[in-house]
Amino acid sequence: MKKLLFIYLALGLSVAVSQNKQLLYNWEVTPQTLMLNPGALVTNQFHAGIPLASQFHINVGSSGVSVFDVFADDGLDINTKISNTISKLSSRDFFTVNQQLDVLNFGWLSKGLEPMYFSGGMYQELDAIAYFPKDIAILALEGNREYIGKAYDFNDISARADLLTVYHFGVNKQVSKKLTAGVRLKLYSSLISVSSTRNKGAFKTTVREGSANIYEHTVTDLDVEVKTSGFISLDGLEPSQVRKKLLGRALLGGNLGIGIDAGITYQFDNELSLTASVLDLGAIFHTKDTELYKAKGDYTLNGIELIFPELENGEPTIPYYDNLEDDITREIPVDTLNTGYTQLRPTKINAALHYDFGRFVGDNGGCNCKNNGTKQKRVSQAGVQYYSIFRPRGLQLAGTLYYTRRFGNTLSIKTTYTLDSYSAKNIGAGMFLNIAGVNLFLAADNLLQMSNLAKANSVSLQVGLNYILN
Amino acid sequence: MDVKITKLFFLLTSMLLFVSCFDGTDFDQANDVVVTPEIELDLIYFNLDASSFYNNATNTEVLVVEDTTDLDFLGGSDINDILKGADFFFKFTNSISRGFNVSFDFLSQDNVSRYLMQTTVAPGSENTPVVSYFVQSLDELQIKELTKAKKVLVTVTIPSSSQDLTGVLNLQSKTTYYLEIEQ
Repeated sequence: MKKLLFIYLALGLSVAVSQNKQLLYNWEVTPQTLMLNPGALVTNQFHAGIPLASQFHINVGSSGVSVFDVFADDGLDINTKISNTISKLSSRDFFTVNQQLDVLNFGWLSKGLEPMYFSGGMYQELDAIAYFPKDIAILALEGNREYIGKAYDFNDISARADLLTVYHFGVNKQVSKKLTAGVRLKLYSSLISVSSTRNKGAFKTTVREGSANIYEHTVTDLDVEVKTSGFISLDGLEPSQVRKKLLGRALLGGNLGIGIDAGITYQFDNELSLTASVLDLGAIFHTKDTELYKAKGDYTLNGIELIFPELENGEPTIPYYDNLEDDITREIPVDTLNTGYTQLRPTKINAALHYDFGRFVGDNGGCNCKNNGTKQKRVSQAGVQYYSIFRPRGLQLAGTLYYTRRFGNTLSIKTTYTLDSYSAKNIGAGMFLNIAGVNLFLAADNLLQMSNLAKANSVSLQVGLNYILN
Repeated sequence: MDVKITKLFFLLTSMLLFVSCFDGTDFDQANDVVVTPEIELDLIYFNLDASSFYNNATNTEVLVVEDTTDLDFLGGSDINDILKGADFFFKFTNSISRGFNVSFDFLSQDNVSRYLMQTTVAPGSENTPVVSYFVQSLDELQIKELTKAKKVLVTVTIPSSSQDLTGVLNLQSKTTYYLEIEQ
């Protein structure tokens, strides 16, 4: 079981642009397609995710380094390989973990004068991103001896981790023959959140003519901050109490937030269509159980100056060291605050052009009569997809070319080629199986590196089980 | 048809899952990871005026001046475990026409000497100050002893002095710490 779990987790190793679900976007998988575009074309009347199995998604990894770079069994010293890897990485490289578990997902077509498809549910999400703090890593791993004169930039420190549950309810409506639109409201309940994303300042050791001592160690324009929410009340609790507390927060007892997803599908003609969506446009308001740490200031250290005072009998010596510590504390105070703060969700944008071709699926003459005359699916679809996500250091982008092939109403296969800043050879594939309304899907990308995950920078996995009534 | 497709689905997904592996890697290498930062840090500095070596009030020579400072960071057990060596570097610039004996005595909290460094400084003149260097490299055993200290007593001894002695004895110093952090 452990091995199996390892393989499943290993499959999720690394993504170039975390959270990009290019395989599920605008595919047959109804609940997940609606989660990626609330304005997707829905052709079924009802769906229900199998609780806790409706969708599981995971990816873990980094943009600039693979397991193989460090752990290759090549006879080289691992410390040399770590050193080489660090010099290869930049502070724009990042490590990510993203995991989602659909706890509940359901939807139904509300018939009547204005037919609409409602859908809702709840999922749990863990999302973490840490940029590689190159300067700080060099300082910690190698020290400053070989880097006299180099400024170590605190701006390199940028990381964020969130554990939350999301309750959502959406409505999807075919506005006209050509346009389908949808919107989804989301209520976030944050279990734990920690972030440190807007840091600045630099540390430098320099040799300067005329300085008091050999070196000048300067901290310039320092402004660093770590925000936490949901941590302090867990301190010192037994694991069972922690679980209980987290469960309470999962059930809307955490710091709450609100967000919106919106999307459209526009059908130009029987072949060409456009889809677009914006997801997680919202924020979490951390008002309780918060703790923020801030350090701000400038300081120059020259060591300790001795002044050789003439001391009378019994007179204590000057507390140089304590004075130095007091100076540093005064010039760079570290404040602990319990104020609230607002955190924007990482908003994602999807957009795509789709082209349907080939013969129609099934044989009822080009009309899906159950579905108000909307066009019937063709066996093939190809297109181009755009994805972006707002991250602490700006937008991360990805572009995908895809091809979907349907084999009757039972099987659909989607293949993708994705290009982003870090990978130009990401090929993915997904299979969707429908047996008497029970839908099983599995999708993974970076298949070229599947034979040796150690070399992969980018693999993600989604599996799910749903019941869909057409 | 459906049965065939179902079989194909499971065959392909199983292949996807089980064909993947971590080839050519050795995760035991993690045990060999050693981090060895080398840190340069200023230590102490002073500017001792020649007048410090003569007491005008009593018209007497002051042949020994001394001062003490805590160096709390030396005494921590955390640093003790990872410190594998250190180089102490002292640079004296002397414009006083006397040579000096200078000692750095690293003392424990209860003033027990843990490590003593001593050096001499060449005499100079106000017009041509003389620079003397003193470097003391400590190996792991010596640095372990030194890190039992909590403070340093600096003693500057002049062989003779007078009221009209002029100039300044300047000290600048730094330490290179060699750390080794293992798994």
